[in-house]
Amino acid sequence: MANPRDEILDWSEQGRIAPGRLRAALEAGGALPDANDWRRFLDRLLLWMGTVMLACSAIFFFAFNWAEMGRLAKIGLVEAPILGALFLLWRLGLERASGRAVLFAAALLTGGLLALIGQIYQTGADTWELFAVWAAAILPWTLVGRLAPLWVLWLALLNLAVSLYYLTFGFLWGFVFAPQRLMWMLFGLNTGALVAWEACAAAGLEWLRERWSARVVATASGTLITWLALTDVFDWRSSSHWGLPLWLGWMAAAYAAYRRWLKDVYVLAGGVLSAIVVIAALFGKSLSHSDAGGFLFMGLVIIGLSAAGGWWLKSVINEQDGGAA
Amino acid sequence: MSSTTRAMLWDRLAKASLVEGALPEAGEAASPWFIRVMLGFAGWLGALFLLGFVGAAFVAIFRDASSMLVLGGLACAAAVAIYRVAPKSDFMAQFGLAVSFAGQAMILVGLADVFKRFNPTQFAVCFMLLEAVLFVLVPNYLHRVLSALGAALAAVWLIIDAGLFAFAPAAITAAFLVLWLVEFKFERHGPLLRAGGYGLAIAAVLTSVLHGGLWLGWLVSRGHGQPAGGEAVQWLGHGASVLVLVGAVIALLRREGLELGSGQGRVGLCAALILGLASLKAPGVAPAAAILVVGYANGNRVLAGLGIAALLGYLSHYYYSMQTTLLFKSALLAATGLALLGARLVMHRWWPEAKETSHA
Repeated sequence: MANPRDEILDWSEQGRIAPGRLRAALEAGGALPDANDWRRFLDRLLLWMGTVMLACSAIFFFAFNWAEMGRLAKIGLVEAPILGALFLLWRLGLERASGRAVLFAAALLTGGLLALIGQIYQTGADTWELFAVWAAAILPWTLVGRLAPLWVLWLALLNLAVSLYYLTFGFLWGFVFAPQRLMWMLFGLNTGALVAWEACAAAGLEWLRERWSARVVATASGTLITWLALTDVFDWRSSSHWGLPLWLGWMAAAYAAYRRWLKDVYVLAGGVLSAIVVIAALFGKSLSHSDAGGFLFMGLVIIGLSAAGGWWLKSVINEQDGGAA
Repeated sequence: MSSTTRAMLWDRLAKASLVEGALPEAGEAASPWFIRVMLGFAGWLGALFLLGFVGAAFVAIFRDASSMLVLGGLACAAAVAIYRVAPKSDFMAQFGLAVSFAGQAMILVGLADVFKRFNPTQFAVCFMLLEAVLFVLVPNYLHRVLSALGAALAAVWLIIDAGLFAFAPAAITAAFLVLWLVEFKFERHGPLLRAGGYGLAIAAVLTSVLHGGLWLGWLVSRGHGQPAGGEAVQWLGHGASVLVLVGAVIALLRREGLELGSGQGRVGLCAALILGLASLKAPGVAPAAAILVVGYANGNRVLAGLGIAALLGYLSHYYYSMQTTLLFKSALLAATGLALLGARLVMHRWWPEAKETSHA
């Protein structure tokens, strides 16, 4: 059952819950945490906040300029927590939340170690190489970890590596005047990841079914294709003219996937917003400063589209069959 | 929530004698947060075109501050009327939002012109009053969230402008906590409380994550918001954040009927103290943690998610904040991280895992 909180509050606002019984209704409806829920929540909160803060502490520590510390001491100091984390992982196992938390911390610390090696030995590596090697180094852990946040971190590292690669070689390849190419690369990367994610989740990988992580990737993919469509609409320099057709394809695919196959109203809401922005751009670009009627028409079109979109999204949520609304 | 699950929930409450009669129709509260975000963004976009229409049709108005103020006021009044005449219409709600945004923008531009030399204090007071009036008069959830956010940010601006910016996170977090902790107590005013609470939550996130960052630096550089009272007042401001977080945990424990000396109480207070102490030098931690915990306590996933996003955002921002060295930040994070993991071990002793039935 989806979170019943909003529904019970709505009934309370309509006066359908007896006065003074709202809290009792929320408890009866399972909307409020009980003692076991609280214990689990605090356990996870302390574990994850503590672990992430320790990992960040190590990264901050080595970002400080340690002139007086020897190179071996530095490397030893960052390797020790990684080894400690791996030892803990061996003892705890991946089935326990604490085991997964230390694996995540080890993945973060690996980046610190790689940055440190680059700093000490002046390897001459570009920044994009740091993130690419970091992603490659933690890939085996990501594969065995069965942890959605670790995959999101891995994908974020790949995005960073690709972006920095294009920024580094932009002048060489003449891409600096064609940022769309970078956007196309990132769009391909994130869309591929999204398709793989949903396919694996559908194939039975239970731990990939947490919707928040797939939604993060869908947001990246949708934002990029919307931006590419806008470059076509405004015919910006070096526009590929593929943005608008592929945006249409993306919208159709998103509708089929998230309306017909797997109901996820979050992605549909993103699609509605994307459509409003692109339509506003299509009509708006031809408006002149003195075209009062055009501005009024466009304002009303946007208001009408968003109202219709909101009504449609709510009707999808209220459909008979449940889903990831 | 689907119709089936709604019906199941209604039946469950009916069996507990908490509701009577037939299942009501799905209302606006069934809209999840992302639909409201979409509607809010689209309303803002529509307002830009409506402003374009006013600018193109009545060029003279944009050249005269008093005309802008009058027209802006009329637009806001029209928005109030639209919402009150057609409270159930999706189209009219969006139209009202866009008209209101356009009206507010015209009032702000008019005010800026009236004050000639840009004065942040007068500007913030006027904006706060405008948002407060709209918050009360406009009977729409999304509009109220945005009005509360605008008023709260104006209030934060005034606190900063008075040179008390060390108190800004504590003040905005305290206001946020008060609203959410009484959410179930004043059920008749629930829509107002929740709309105000979300606005304050977003303002608390912005204030805590960006604390010491871009906009404070901008204000200080303009000669406004110079710290008042020197170092001592700064420490008092940070101390206020600790008190707010500990106070929130005490209020939460009392609301749930738990003794402060119980296992749950000791764990909660211990965690609040650790995070509060960390906030003395990392002032975004306490407000973000407060949002997360209160969100969870009220069964509000959106609020809890906002708290997690605020914590992660603050940690990222903290790396770049210039107040202390990376070495100090590293030591602070290490001490806090170890203390939190230690508290988790202590929790397992004070509050052993058991099949409890009472609410915590």
